[in-house]
Amino acid sequence: MSAGWTDHLIVAPIVLPLAAAALTLFLDERQRRLKASVALLTVLALLFVSTLLLQGAASSGFAGEPATTAYHLGNWPAPFGIVLVIDWLSALMLVLTSGLGLTTLVYSLAYWDRAGPRFHTLFLLQLMGLNGAFLTGDLFNLFVFFEVLLAASYGLLLHGSGVQRVQAGLHYVSINVATSLLFLIGVALIYGVTGTLNMADLAIRIPAVAGSDLPLLQSGMAILGTAFLLKAGMWPLGLWLPRSYAAAAPPVAALFAILSKVGVYAVLRVYLLLGGEGGWAANFGDEWLLYGGMATIAFGTVGILASRTLMRVAGYSVIISSGTLLAAIGAGQGAVLGGVLFYLVSSTVGICAFYLLIELIERNEADAALKVEPVFEDEYTGSLETGEEDETGVVIPATLAILGGGFVFCVLVISGLPPLSGFVAKFAIIHGLLGLRSEIDWPVWALISLIILSGLATIIATTRAGIDLIWTPSEQPQPLHLAEAVPVGVLLAACLGLAIFAGPTMRYMERTGQSLGDRQGYVQKVLIEGPADKHARSR
Amino acid sequence: MLKVTSESLLWLMLALPFLGSLLSSILPARKRNTAGILAGVVMLLASVVAIGLYSSISEGSVVRSRIPWLPSLGLEIVLRLDGLSWLFAALVLVVGFLVVVYSRYYMSPEDPVPRFFAYLLAFAGSMVGLVLSGNLIQLVFFWELTSLFSFLLIGYWYHNERARSGARMALIVTATGGLCLLAGVMLLGKIAGSYDLDAVFLAADRIRQSELYLPALGLILIGAFTKSAQFPFHFWLPHAMAAPTPVSAYLHSATLVKAGIFLLIRFWPVLAGTEAWFATVTTVGLCTLILGAWVAIFQQDLKGLLAYSTISHLGLITLLLGLNSPLATVAAIFHTLNHATFKASLFMAVGIIDHETGTRDIRKLSGLARYMPITATLAVIAAGAMAGVPLLNGFLSKEMFLAEALDLHRESFAGRTLPFLATLALAFSVLYSVRFIHQSFFGPPPQDLPREPQEAPRWMRMPIEVLVVACLVVGMVPALTVAPLLGAAAYSVLGPNTPSYSLAIWHGFNAPLVLSLLALLLGALGYVLFGKRLNRQDGTPLVGVFKGRRAFETVLSLLIRGARRTMEFVGTRRLQPQLRVLVLAACFAGLLPFLRYGYQGGTKVGTPLDPAFALIWLVGGICAVAAAWTAKYHRFAALILMAGAGLVSCVSFVWLSSPDLALTQLLVETVTTLLLLLGLRWLPARSRDLWPGSRTPWRVRFRRGGDVTLALAAGSGIALLSYAIMTREMPNSISRYFVEHSYPDGGGRNVVNVILVDFRGFDTLGEMTVLAIVALTVFALLRRFRPAPESVRSPEQQRLQDASDDAREGRERGDTLADYLLVPRTIMEWLFPAIIVLAFYLLMRGHDLPGGGFAAGVTMSIALILQYLASGTRRVEDRLRVHPLRWMGSGLLLAVVTGLGAWWFDYPFLTSWFRYVDLPLLGEVPLATALLFDIGVFLLVIGAIALILVAIAHQSIRTTRRRPEPPLAVKSGEEEA
Repeated sequence: MSAGWTDHLIVAPIVLPLAAAALTLFLDERQRRLKASVALLTVLALLFVSTLLLQGAASSGFAGEPATTAYHLGNWPAPFGIVLVIDWLSALMLVLTSGLGLTTLVYSLAYWDRAGPRFHTLFLLQLMGLNGAFLTGDLFNLFVFFEVLLAASYGLLLHGSGVQRVQAGLHYVSINVATSLLFLIGVALIYGVTGTLNMADLAIRIPAVAGSDLPLLQSGMAILGTAFLLKAGMWPLGLWLPRSYAAAAPPVAALFAILSKVGVYAVLRVYLLLGGEGGWAANFGDEWLLYGGMATIAFGTVGILASRTLMRVAGYSVIISSGTLLAAIGAGQGAVLGGVLFYLVSSTVGICAFYLLIELIERNEADAALKVEPVFEDEYTGSLETGEEDETGVVIPATLAILGGGFVFCVLVISGLPPLSGFVAKFAIIHGLLGLRSEIDWPVWALISLIILSGLATIIATTRAGIDLIWTPSEQPQPLHLAEAVPVGVLLAACLGLAIFAGPTMRYMERTGQSLGDRQGYVQKVLIEGPADKHARSR
Repeated sequence: MLKVTSESLLWLMLALPFLGSLLSSILPARKRNTAGILAGVVMLLASVVAIGLYSSISEGSVVRSRIPWLPSLGLEIVLRLDGLSWLFAALVLVVGFLVVVYSRYYMSPEDPVPRFFAYLLAFAGSMVGLVLSGNLIQLVFFWELTSLFSFLLIGYWYHNERARSGARMALIVTATGGLCLLAGVMLLGKIAGSYDLDAVFLAADRIRQSELYLPALGLILIGAFTKSAQFPFHFWLPHAMAAPTPVSAYLHSATLVKAGIFLLIRFWPVLAGTEAWFATVTTVGLCTLILGAWVAIFQQDLKGLLAYSTISHLGLITLLLGLNSPLATVAAIFHTLNHATFKASLFMAVGIIDHETGTRDIRKLSGLARYMPITATLAVIAAGAMAGVPLLNGFLSKEMFLAEALDLHRESFAGRTLPFLATLALAFSVLYSVRFIHQSFFGPPPQDLPREPQEAPRWMRMPIEVLVVACLVVGMVPALTVAPLLGAAAYSVLGPNTPSYSLAIWHGFNAPLVLSLLALLLGALGYVLFGKRLNRQDGTPLVGVFKGRRAFETVLSLLIRGARRTMEFVGTRRLQPQLRVLVLAACFAGLLPFLRYGYQGGTKVGTPLDPAFALIWLVGGICAVAAAWTAKYHRFAALILMAGAGLVSCVSFVWLSSPDLALTQLLVETVTTLLLLLGLRWLPARSRDLWPGSRTPWRVRFRRGGDVTLALAAGSGIALLSYAIMTREMPNSISRYFVEHSYPDGGGRNVVNVILVDFRGFDTLGEMTVLAIVALTVFALLRRFRPAPESVRSPEQQRLQDASDDAREGRERGDTLADYLLVPRTIMEWLFPAIIVLAFYLLMRGHDLPGGGFAAGVTMSIALILQYLASGTRRVEDRLRVHPLRWMGSGLLLAVVTGLGAWWFDYPFLTSWFRYVDLPLLGEVPLATALLFDIGVFLLVIGAIALILVAIAHQSIRTTRRRPEPPLAVKSGEEEA
């Protein structure tokens, strides 16, 4: 195994699901098990590869070498061809994505992958889009992968059909297509001013932009930012989010937990890389992130209190999570990034588990929306209504205890109460905020209060719903399948693990945060150490 | 050696309850004895460990053991055992053991007790963790765990409504407090520069002088007061009585509510000593003391009486802590201990009464002493301790309290009134104690009790006996028993400031004793005078109108209603406003920099405007505006107009010499327009009459006006931006590289194509994927598509044709349809091979001349669409097997495999290779891997468009279910649009 072989690993998180998805296109609906196996194997491999990549980044990073590795696609030198970049942050996001992917996929195998055609293909392509967005080092390529992940999310959101889902799905499509247009306009303006798309190259060129071009560049960045913030769900751009997520099939909604984080990721990546130290872009974005983020937390808090269903509660916790992330990024720049990233991982995993669990808790009512009168003879109605033979078949006793326990765990993670990772995450953020300056100014006070109040609102909203659903005596709950219970358990165990191994995890997150401020290192690895011309052998 | 052992013992003490909890939680629900024994053994072991550790702290030393948890944020797990934490830990574990023994006999055999014991043990573990915390954050951590497990314990009988609402209330109140506490200790940590408890103790002066002291104090006090049920947060505690009695005995005597007290004592050296502390803590303590005692008098439920008495005693302890005097703090610690012993035994006694008689209603009970003499004796002694009868432990701490109250030589209102108020509160406590005892155990035999009373089983009484013996022993020989423990605890709080005091029954005939006797007398007198009347009293006079629970529920529901109301203003679920917000935000974001720096066009001189070009653009503009105008009600017209606008962009591309773009645009326009036209047929009709009297309301006109303005603003914004960009000098852009390297390194003269398949082939791979996904999504959506009822039947024209076939002799139904547009159809069918050849031509030449895989693929799919249009779905599919999914799969795979091929030569993914070769007939042909990639694009595009086409086409051959074709309505209908 040559050294070159591991270099190529960077492209695997994108190519692997793509190839697997292409393969599943050759299988028809009757070969569901085969498709499921292909998907499962692929996602397992993805998890393995991304763990390897994370390990690689961390081991070289902790050893004092740069953790950043660039991969020059087509062997074109850097600002001209497209580069993929693996570094602390992208490796982390890859592991998170594949972890969530694996759990939600296993969950969906119990029931949901039969609810409509081509689930596995769309699912794999969704992962490909996410991975691509996290890996790319090129602004236009980021747009392409945004399109991939959005297109796949359209398909997945509509998966399972039904009036509500189609309504919410088309709503979602409209909003996101409009936003993609903004993305494109922003990228075009930035290209028009700087003449490059490579992020590392941009980081060099932007400080040198002439004064007369500045408003154009800023305008482009701001429009691009609007697009990112809409994906992240910032108020008032994120009003679409709770409804869309609530309409999605549960494993899809659970996977979508990371979708809104892509917006946050893009903000982190693009704005920290492109905004010079104390430069104009930094000042330009910060206040908007801080106040917008705070408005988002407030909105999410009000929304979570107003929610009537658990799906909505989960939707607004996505909003709160995004708001917290954005505001903390805006308030603190580098200092709180460790906590921010820890919170990002913890809240994503927690919300993912929550979406999966809600379905199990509310199962008795869930079916009603799906039973639609077929209009045509040939309509694909099969498995949803009849529910094929029990494949996993193992029925766990004490369903209620497991659901109750899982629910409590989820609430603890999301609201930030001990002993799970949510507590550590919120503590780390508040700690970072308090340590920013010796004087605490009012926006920081307000932000800390909002973070705490949003946790409280989550507790109030979830205890009400949880007590009504879990503690109120009712008829025997439907049995659980192992394939459904295990993913939830794994996700929650991950939250527990994050809390127990908070020390090493936080060390990783802090290094990630530092690396984001290290423009020089990034530029060096991406731009300067690439192939000089096309036919130079890569390393 | 000893140090190592005591450190590991600390960990053992903390871990044991949690381990036991884990074991108990996996026991089957019916394993009642196993769970009981397990819990008992665990508690006993942990107690033994705790007692064994006494020697290591008795000399005022501190045992510490630390494990790094989050070292970079100053968060370590520090177990820190000193006199105070030892006292509390021992109390938690020993009382815990007694409660476990008691529960084993109390809980009914049907209850799934393993779960109960699991919660109880975990709760005990959290309490131990709390008192052992040597780090502020760790303290909050365990603090919240106690809230959580107490919630589960209170809600243990969750099938009844009171347990659910009581548990929820307790959780919300204490968790709120916990969050405040977290914020408070983090402020403390900020001032002290560390979360380590010892460091915080060292920084005490700095903390008190800091400007963050007041916020920190406020937040920490809210935490302590909510937990210890201090006024005005006391209301949750009586509702927590819905828990099983052993839980109440545990939570409300030695543990949960004492956590707040523990916190106040723990932080006493740091936070006390200021005016703010004195004012807040004494006021809250005094209010709670008097209010709790007053309300307790009027309770008819024994547990309710004990609950309010607990509140009152907690108030007493808080009051003592607020006095800023070391001696009062010693008294507070002492009373905490005493209260725990007598209150736990009283709760258990009430549990026995409830268990044996079936009721806790004080009015129904009477004369139980003759049925359960031992329990009665025990209860009398414990109640005596509660009332502060001499020779019992409660008396001693009460004396200290009175002495402190008298000692408050302040020329203030508080200083002068405190002794009187204290005496009054103590008199109340005597009154309710006497009422409790006399009413339940003495007097005539009880009538119509739900059960025949009898003495409780021996093991159920044992825990009470132990506790009551403790009350007696401490009360009689304090110096020999409790003094050293108390001394160690006091020393760990006060350090060298520990005052000298003596624990003795007799201090001479002094003022505290007088007040104490006065209180006893008044209380007894009160019962004699009002005892019977109290039984008839419904609700508490003066304060009974304040219903804590109702207020709590009201606040919550107001909160929720307020939230829902607010959502109507700050949120919307409708698409239009959301899009409006989006466009508005984008306009604003794009505009802002120009407001700051001003707008400046570029310096380049524009080319002179050609009138012909201007005309073309005028037409295009009109088409675009008209399309938007008609989009709502005339979809067909809008579509055609959009195609017109698209054509104008094609022409512009040609005009501006970019043939590649023009070709692609033209083909894409064609296909999208065709597919959309095919789709129109299934859309529901739109009716225009929305408003009564066909008058558009002003509100709507206003909104539409706003939308138009916004659209104009956005459009002009984009125009201005484009103008500014295009009139500027091009920056030193990467595009030059593409032009220069396209032929030498990419092997193609068509730069656009080389960019697409080589320089930025990865983008193309992504876009291919997007196309594939969109096709799949459309397909999935249309598989389950249910058209509006009015569009299900066949089109009007077809129905007319069929009707005429039916009407005429010698014609079969469908004949007219078959002949319809015969000539154009034949031409279209014959075009098939020609277009295919064109597609291949475009594909092959793409690398050097306009064309390429995408254009070729679209062309090919146009050929296919034409076939469907000409011959109809059934006929095409009879003759031509289309497998769009396989085409798509092959296309994607080919592209991926081409990219992967580079790995073989150790180049990165998608590295291309090319050579020009001479082929017979074709001449010199570029042979590049990029062509393979392009073929992948070609296949995918055909597949994707074909899939969408098939999905739409199959709508018309689906047979409707149970819905007979409605009879033809013969009337001249409007255009299908």
